[in-house]
Amino acid sequence: MFSIGELFDWLTDAENWTGRYGLANLFVEHLTLTLVSLAIAGLLAIPIGVAIGQSGRGETLVIAISSASRAIPTMGLMFALVMFMGVEFRQFAVVLALVGIAIPPVLAGAYAGIKSIPIVIREGARAQGMTTLQQIRHVGLPLSASSIAGGFKIAYLQVVSTVVLAPLVGLGGLGFGVIQGLALRDFAQLTGSAVVIVLLSITGERLLAKAQGKLDRRLTQSKINR
Amino acid sequence: MEWAAKNFDFVLELSVTHLLISLVPLVLGSVLAFALVRLTPLKLAGTIGTTFSAIYAIPSLAVFVALPAVIGTSYLGPTNVVIALSIYVAAAMFFSIRDAFSQVSKPTVFIARAQGLSPLQLFVHVELPLAIPGLIAGLRVAAASTVSMASIGAIVGVRNLGYLFLDGFQRKIPEEILTGLFAIFIIGIALDLGLWALGKVLTPWTRRSAQRV
Amino acid sequence: MTKPIKKSIKSAIALSAVAVLGLAGCAESSSEPLVIGSQAYYSNEIVAEVYAQVLEDAGYSVDRQFALGQRDVYVPALLAGEIDIFPEYTGNLLQYFDPEATATAEEDVYQALQAALPAGLTALALSGASDQDSYNVTSDFAMKNSLTSIGDLAGVTGIRLGGAPELAERPYGPTGLLSSYGVTVEFEATGDTTVESLVAGLIDMANVYSADPRIQQLGLVTLTDPQGLFLSSNLVPIASDAVNQEARDLISAVSSAMTAADLVALNVRSVDEQLSSAVIARDWLLSKGLID
Repeated sequence: MFSIGELFDWLTDAENWTGRYGLANLFVEHLTLTLVSLAIAGLLAIPIGVAIGQSGRGETLVIAISSASRAIPTMGLMFALVMFMGVEFRQFAVVLALVGIAIPPVLAGAYAGIKSIPIVIREGARAQGMTTLQQIRHVGLPLSASSIAGGFKIAYLQVVSTVVLAPLVGLGGLGFGVIQGLALRDFAQLTGSAVVIVLLSITGERLLAKAQGKLDRRLTQSKINR
Repeated sequence: MEWAAKNFDFVLELSVTHLLISLVPLVLGSVLAFALVRLTPLKLAGTIGTTFSAIYAIPSLAVFVALPAVIGTSYLGPTNVVIALSIYVAAAMFFSIRDAFSQVSKPTVFIARAQGLSPLQLFVHVELPLAIPGLIAGLRVAAASTVSMASIGAIVGVRNLGYLFLDGFQRKIPEEILTGLFAIFIIGIALDLGLWALGKVLTPWTRRSAQRV
Repeated sequence: MTKPIKKSIKSAIALSAVAVLGLAGCAESSSEPLVIGSQAYYSNEIVAEVYAQVLEDAGYSVDRQFALGQRDVYVPALLAGEIDIFPEYTGNLLQYFDPEATATAEEDVYQALQAALPAGLTALALSGASDQDSYNVTSDFAMKNSLTSIGDLAGVTGIRLGGAPELAERPYGPTGLLSSYGVTVEFEATGDTTVESLVAGLIDMANVYSADPRIQQLGLVTLTDPQGLFLSSNLVPIASDAVNQEARDLISAVSSAMTAADLVALNVRSVDEQLSSAVIARDWLLSKGLID
């Protein structure tokens, strides 16, 4: 039926790595779609999350959005957006859907990060005469950085696994091998592509977890120094 | 609205399938996760945790497709999707169950033990009730993602609400896709509210103390 | 992973599998319904629905397993005896069982298919309706490059061919185009956005099923295929040994009754009137007097 040997042969065959739908190109497409979406989500969600955490207004909204958004099936969202925006703009439609998935965890991370800063520190910054922007820049953001990284970690995992569906709307990415492998019942291709996707998501997750740990350590150390 | 009205019965039928295909894995996966949390020695907990986070990274579509080849299940029917979703639920619930029980305050457990409760009594009357808020919170997260992930099962021939996405995209009927999105959203919200209510019913003391305040 | 965990995970998976199978088992009725499958293609599903309704009308109980993806996905299930009846297309199915098949004419393909079908599967009566892969271009592109046949593309460079991801590996895909017509194309996996991609100019040539109403609606030009790259592909019901003679006769009758124009008309109703396959199938059967 299918063996590890076949999988190994498929993954080590140079032919499967080159060309328009070779693993190398698909990998780059997958990573690009993921990173672009995460960057846009960060630009939108971090300021909003920080503002909400800082002002304490709109908290219920954040919680409602982040729990409700999990139930929105990304496949349907992607199809609907591609149809409404037109196939010429499928890249934008897919990125929009991905940004939609990435925003809630990043938003929640930024919000929770600010909220977790002890009131003494926040009030202290204010008492020193810092403006709101200064408070955010010198106190809020540095102290919530680890929580924001945690939000990105969750968003990254969700986005990477959703990009797998991009070939359904005519885009590339590593899902191509899964969907073509499914249609052709080529299990070596199917599992080979899945292995690369898993490696991509685990590596990214590890890196973000490491960053989070580093930020955490910096935080505790700076507290001790003070 | 016209499409949804014309196909109301069909959408309802798909919704029932969708709900079942989400509920069965939620139960199976939680039971599996619970067994793993309680029955495995502490030393192995870390290994299981790492395994589960790795499983979470595998795209669901690949699991749906590969299962019949790997474990020899039937190609048809919802079995593959149900098994795959159960594993995802187990992966998510493993962590919530572990945390929910570890958050039960230790002094409470010690006092109960000192009062002479047997391990079973301790579990049923003390640990489990106190872990319920954490368990319910975990289940709510798992339920929402299971409901949306189940729709991908349509690609491997499971006729749930995800079918409306594939068929609507093929026939270019935006309303069919929107109907699917809406129905899944409603199921997600309903499950969430149901679990929330279940949590309230199972922890009457939280309500009482709230009233007292 | 250490051994005990692996074991416990394995047994846990096995346990839940048993539980699920047990649940599924309860749902099955005692009178063994006939399982009718269909592709994840709306037109195929309408035909499957036609078969289902004509059988139900005759008192059979039917289990619909529709939208089962592409051939490579459901044929294993058909071979395993999990499906009893499936609406198929002669040429494509022949090519599936015999990639080297040389027959191209309607009747020859049907004969060759009957010979190529594995034991346990039978092709019932051939329908006059065909729905086969075809290469299409926009009328502008056809005019600009004076195209009527696929071979006319031989001099044109940089042609982008769009279709489902699996087209890349099909015998009539890029390799077949090169060997039969000397046409070089760059393949774009456009999936279910193929026709829109052609209209939007993202691709130059699209693989569209010949009964797709949009070919006429959008004025697409279907390139002729004198070399027989595509096998002629007519609708044909495939039945397993579990289907008795009476049921076979019923399905053969509806298969023969369905004309090429009928099939296009059914597809038009599906995309334009947006009706469900059940309604479209029922109306057609009533109009032909095949059920009452």
